[in-house]
Amino acid sequence: MSQAAGIALDPAAAGTAVTRLRVHWSDRVAHVFLAGACAALAIFLLAPLAAILVKSVQDRDGAYVGLENFVRYFGTPALARSIWNSAWTATLVTAITLPLAFTFAYALTRSCIRWKTLLRNIALVPILAPSLLAAISFIFWFGNQGLLKVLLGSGQIYGAPGIVASLVFATFPHALMILVSALSLTDARLYEAADALGTGAVRRFLTITVPGAKYGIISAAMVVFTYAISDFGIPKVIGGNFNVLATDIFKLVIGMQDFAKGAVVAIVLLVPVAVTYAVDGYVQKRQSALLSARSVPYVPRPSRAFDWSMAAFCWLVAALMAAVLAMAVYASFVKLWPYNFTLSLDHYRLGLVDGGVFPAYLHSLALAAWCATLGAAFIFVTAYVLEKTRGLDGLRPLLRLMAVLPMGVPGMVLGLGYIFFFVREDNPLHFLYGTLAILAVNTVVHYYSSTHLTAVTALKQIDNEFESVSASLKVAFWRTFARVTVPVCLPTMLDLSRYLFVNAMTTVSAVVFLYSPRTTLASVAIVNLDEAGDIGPAAAMASLIVATSAFVCFLYYLAQRALDRTQAWRLP
Amino acid sequence: MEFLSLRNVHKRFGDFVALHDVSLDVHPGELLCFLGPSGCGKTTLLRIIAGLEVQSSGSLVQAGRDISRLPPMERDYGIVFQSYALFPNLTVGENVAYGLVNRRVPRAKREARVAELLALVGLPESVGKHPAQLSGGQQQRVALARALATSPGLLLLDEPLSALDARVRTRLRGEIRGLQQRLGVTTILVTHDQEEALSMADRIVVMKDGAIEQVGAPAEIYQRPGSPFVADFVGRTNLLPASRAGNGRIQVGSHTFDCDLAGAPGNGTLRIFFRPEDVRVRGVQGDTPNSAGARVEKVEFLGAFSRLTVRLDGIEQALLADLSVNDMAELRLRPGDALRVSLPPERLRVFAAP
Repeated sequence: MSQAAGIALDPAAAGTAVTRLRVHWSDRVAHVFLAGACAALAIFLLAPLAAILVKSVQDRDGAYVGLENFVRYFGTPALARSIWNSAWTATLVTAITLPLAFTFAYALTRSCIRWKTLLRNIALVPILAPSLLAAISFIFWFGNQGLLKVLLGSGQIYGAPGIVASLVFATFPHALMILVSALSLTDARLYEAADALGTGAVRRFLTITVPGAKYGIISAAMVVFTYAISDFGIPKVIGGNFNVLATDIFKLVIGMQDFAKGAVVAIVLLVPVAVTYAVDGYVQKRQSALLSARSVPYVPRPSRAFDWSMAAFCWLVAALMAAVLAMAVYASFVKLWPYNFTLSLDHYRLGLVDGGVFPAYLHSLALAAWCATLGAAFIFVTAYVLEKTRGLDGLRPLLRLMAVLPMGVPGMVLGLGYIFFFVREDNPLHFLYGTLAILAVNTVVHYYSSTHLTAVTALKQIDNEFESVSASLKVAFWRTFARVTVPVCLPTMLDLSRYLFVNAMTTVSAVVFLYSPRTTLASVAIVNLDEAGDIGPAAAMASLIVATSAFVCFLYYLAQRALDRTQAWRLP
Repeated sequence: MEFLSLRNVHKRFGDFVALHDVSLDVHPGELLCFLGPSGCGKTTLLRIIAGLEVQSSGSLVQAGRDISRLPPMERDYGIVFQSYALFPNLTVGENVAYGLVNRRVPRAKREARVAELLALVGLPESVGKHPAQLSGGQQQRVALARALATSPGLLLLDEPLSALDARVRTRLRGEIRGLQQRLGVTTILVTHDQEEALSMADRIVVMKDGAIEQVGAPAEIYQRPGSPFVADFVGRTNLLPASRAGNGRIQVGSHTFDCDLAGAPGNGTLRIFFRPEDVRVRGVQGDTPNSAGARVEKVEFLGAFSRLTVRLDGIEQALLADLSVNDMAELRLRPGDALRVSLPPERLRVFAAP
């Protein structure tokens, strides 16, 4: 009503210029940051992606050939078959992981089983490992010289079975985290109402639980599918002759130096990932209003049969996951598989240190440290400037878009774009090529979206008027940023930092194109060791990465606890 | 000279006009209150004065200086928000000193100023506490101290009390008003609570749909509302359809009443307005001027007084009448009772019907 009246007559609407405030010099500082962040993401995200598009319509000499590369690609049966291979393995992985993770998450949130924290932590362990650890482990279990090879009869683990099994292990925690939070977000009052109406358990599950977690289930499916279709390490190690898109890109670019065809495959890979990403984005948007502030958290009630079956399921899954992890660690200590099972440090000492591979581990540590410090700082400052400062409104939507774009770009594609863009000697940034810096930038961009969104969420929880109050007190925004925003957001910043550290330690896909002999990374070294047949040292390196990630996570945990204890103002 | 002058301040958000050419003067040292329902533009107007929103057109002059295009950092005001916006990781003392640190005030002087301000708002012991350790009312006082620390020429209060419970709110009203009068700082208070506006303000600006409806002292706004909207928004109101009856009288149903018709429209349908407490029931005889027969429909006991719903003979629309405890004790009215009420001519106001 009042709005209708408000719109009515508008004497000043016609022709008058809109007033703008003069910009205070302190706001200019924010604008410089904002523009800088935009430029950085344009150079290190948009430009490489554009380079792929350009490359895909050029021949080897750089002449424009239209869609000829695509025509030739789809005319090559072996390559086109990879599309089908990637699609059905990723679908199968999703179909297996999702029910497993859902049941596990259901047990954690809706049953009265004991040791929930322990079970959860075991199930999350794969996150600390490079994805190819699972592949190595399955080779030790079921490979040609595997302990349980006999179980497979005439079949073999190399190829699709190994890929699917390893991917299920690797994707399980990602699906689990999403589903646990989806299932935690349920209003107990719905269940009370159902009980009061005498609703049966099955009907209750189908009419309340599943619809409530619907968006979480879709989101988890998208994450698992994307991970599975774009993972490189697993099919590289255990795929054998079974080709998928990610390994094709690698073979075409690194093996055959056919950049144009590599670019075509990258675009083919980009399509399903972009689609799932768009679906997920749509779903996330619809989810927001699902739970009101007045919702009552669900508290499970004990039920003997249900709890026992849930406990049995969870411990079985946890045991399988532990078996996968433990095999890689165990094999790294076995002197000579499968002939001499005495334990020794040979693979670490001879294979890694004397083999000259150990520096790769140090490079990874350095990379992870850069990502966890400068990378996390860049992401946080950018999110702050984006959300909490004023002016330069034209750039903000662009920056928002670029910040969430990496979620839809597989690592292999991003990495390929980086070589295309930075390898050219006429690029002023060519000097970055082959340095640790470009690996760090690439890793930060690769994992930008989720860290950015975490930072934004944390910043949105802070009173928006802090900046207004500061301005009224004539205090420049950066003082308030340093004195208030950073201390208040420290727990979130630690989270970002830890996330980037662990991912920098474990990532393979993007960096496999970008490393130079001086900057080989631990995860890439595993690929190379495996290719050379040194699977023992490969297992050693993978174990080293897991141990490092776990240790660093523990340090972060201690830091968080120290924050909670020393900063009493955090507690109400 | 006026302390703050707004001229033709206009604000559009896309197609929606939030403020229609608002012009307003704020006198030095007064407490001016923007009062109106949510969405009336009062907070937008405050934020434009603070430079947190930009007017689409129009000008603002504060203390002789054109501030129309100045960024917040270059304006001279202190502000208190509904959410307090206290920095949670800083102590009360650090919060209050926040604007002083930047101005290179020496430490000893700064501490003295903080102590002075905390004493002023009645929280001398809280200097080392964190905001989360204080109650809502205490937090609001710290926010006030912080806004006053740099001795701004203008104090802006954006619904400062609406997050507090009723009892604290009433007490803080008096405290803020007392403080404002002692310091003599020109203050603008935004509120949707008419009681808050009436009890605190020197002048009230009633707003509706992005335009100023009436400006005046609280008593004026209450007793002589300039429009049916103001009458209805501030206090409880009876509005009855009416028409001119000739010789300066007004016709309401079958009754004719005396009233002041100055300023009322010459013809067409009218409405008469009066407050529930203006309705007299004690000692009303058949020959009392402006009286009419009525019947009690409902009696609502509200503590200090009782609110009766009564129906004048021959008039469909019910009206409210507030009776003191003494009136009620004497008359012992119950639903269904007949009575005679009178409407004092000087309390009746006449508006054009919408």
